[in-house]
Amino acid sequence: MLSINKNIDNGKAVFCLEGRLDTITAPELEKSLQESIEGVKSLTFDFGNLEYISSAGLRVILAAQKLMTGKGEMKVCNLNETVKEIFEVTGFSDILTIE
Amino acid sequence: MSEKEKIKLSGRIDSNNAPQLEKDLLETLAGKDSVAIEFDAKDLEYISSAGLRVLLRIRKTYPDISIVNVSQEVYDIFDMTGFTEMMDVQRAYREVSIEGCEEIGRGANGRIYRIDQDNVVKVYKNPDALEDIKHEREVAKLALILGLPTAISYDVVKVGDSFGSVFELLNARSFSQILASEPEKMDWCVDEFVKLLRKVHDTEVPEGKLPDMKETAISWVQFLQDYLPNKEWMKLMDLVQAVPKDNHMIHGDYHTKNVVLQGDEVLIIDMDTLAVGNPVFELASMFNAFIGFSEYDHVHVLHFMGFDYETSTEFWHRVLKAYLNTTCEAKVREVEDKARIIGYTRLIRRHIRRGGLETPEGKAEISFWKQKLISLIDNTDNLTFSLDELETDASTERLADVQQFISEKLERADCPMKVCMQIEVAVEEIFVNIASYAYAPLSGKAKVRVELSDNPSSVSITFIDHGVPYNPLAKVDPDVHAEASDRPIGGLGIYMTKKMMDDVTYEYKDGQNILTLKKNL
Repeated sequence: MLSINKNIDNGKAVFCLEGRLDTITAPELEKSLQESIEGVKSLTFDFGNLEYISSAGLRVILAAQKLMTGKGEMKVCNLNETVKEIFEVTGFSDILTIE
Repeated sequence: MSEKEKIKLSGRIDSNNAPQLEKDLLETLAGKDSVAIEFDAKDLEYISSAGLRVLLRIRKTYPDISIVNVSQEVYDIFDMTGFTEMMDVQRAYREVSIEGCEEIGRGANGRIYRIDQDNVVKVYKNPDALEDIKHEREVAKLALILGLPTAISYDVVKVGDSFGSVFELLNARSFSQILASEPEKMDWCVDEFVKLLRKVHDTEVPEGKLPDMKETAISWVQFLQDYLPNKEWMKLMDLVQAVPKDNHMIHGDYHTKNVVLQGDEVLIIDMDTLAVGNPVFELASMFNAFIGFSEYDHVHVLHFMGFDYETSTEFWHRVLKAYLNTTCEAKVREVEDKARIIGYTRLIRRHIRRGGLETPEGKAEISFWKQKLISLIDNTDNLTFSLDELETDASTERLADVQQFISEKLERADCPMKVCMQIEVAVEEIFVNIASYAYAPLSGKAKVRVELSDNPSSVSITFIDHGVPYNPLAKVDPDVHAEASDRPIGGLGIYMTKKMMDDVTYEYKDGQNILTLKKNL
């Protein structure tokens, strides 16, 4: 289960994710991003309530990073310890802006 | 040969009248060479050695002699003199009436009534039941010796034209009665019912002592040959044939009328269906008792058990969960579906044999079960199960089931949260891989086995599928130091799995992809 709470204001988008970003739920985030990313200059993922991420979730995050490259900035914040470890193992912590 | 000469013996036979008896007998039997003789000893009060000698001499010419309706006193004489070993001597049976007695149990071969506070009688359907009674007494004795709490009959009686066996059963109440009158005891009933079931299934039986349930199940399948499409029938036969031999006991008719509470002791009764075999055969007959029989017309269960279909469904479901030691619904469904295959096979056969195809309602009921059976056969690869394994469709929709099955076991092993999560990630990667590629574009099954071990505390999770051979570990690791723009989307799953597990191995063996994850806890 994943709940996506997005807030878009004046080219600034914040996606607060709660629950699990996995094979089942990743397509929901992908769709939600596609719907809203037009014209966005700053994209933030708030992982404060994200309990779990698998490679399916990472794929969506990486795709978002690629989309934002050249268009604006993207950052990920409030990672819990497990999610942080996954970002480290996969090198994501080196290529993404993490706060 | 089948003709029997029936001769009544009466009063006292001693040296005074024995010569006359011999003369009379030889006259009666004159010209009837080698006829079988049945002496009716109902009115025989005493027989002395002179009388016994007459019988011995008669036996020289007419070797096939039986003596029936023998009183206890006369039986003792035959017994002491060794006659019971030489010829068929049958005791007279006490007559017991069941008029107005409460029926407390019902099984495949008869019904059980309480005849007084301390005793019950099992009345056999088959009018010629002496062999059945003997069999039941033998197997009940065997069960008792092997450590199972049961009652053994101490007397054979006549109940009208039928035979009955009498058991001591003090104030016992069946679990059906308890569930019907005290629904709040459901939890307790589930626990005790499962505890006893496990005890039965843990009991090893010496070779040849009990019939093999698999043979019986094969005979059910054989019966269905003309009633199922050939493809499904052949698969059904293969499925049953493939169930491995098992020398553990199964009761064969394990339901709540055959489990009774006596004082604070829980007993199983009605032992005539005792057999050996894989527990799936037991679960099949349990499914029938609680669900199958009444699935088409729910009122059956109320008549049979005394509680309604909803109670029966709930009880069966909870029993299965407790027996499988899991809360994972997918696991329960897997095993239930296997049991249903054998259950429906038996129900259809039983119904057809009882003339079910001759009435419209019967036909409708048979066709109801048949449709279910056919779809189950199409979707099943084998009938066995293991508590450590979940067998499921290799489909991403089943991912949550797989995760639940595994995490329950990890939680019980007190696995730290962080490790649980790492395992969860790895499991997702591997299972989704199988779901996406093993059988594409068709579908198939995957098995997931969880094994925990101590020293060092670790878990190993094995994934097995029958799909195309594919070793995911052979893939080159992605460059995790590349810039975002240079990195391909995807390809991270296996890499993450390798990094987060302590060991990941793959082999292709016997047509199966076998991938094992190991993680120290």
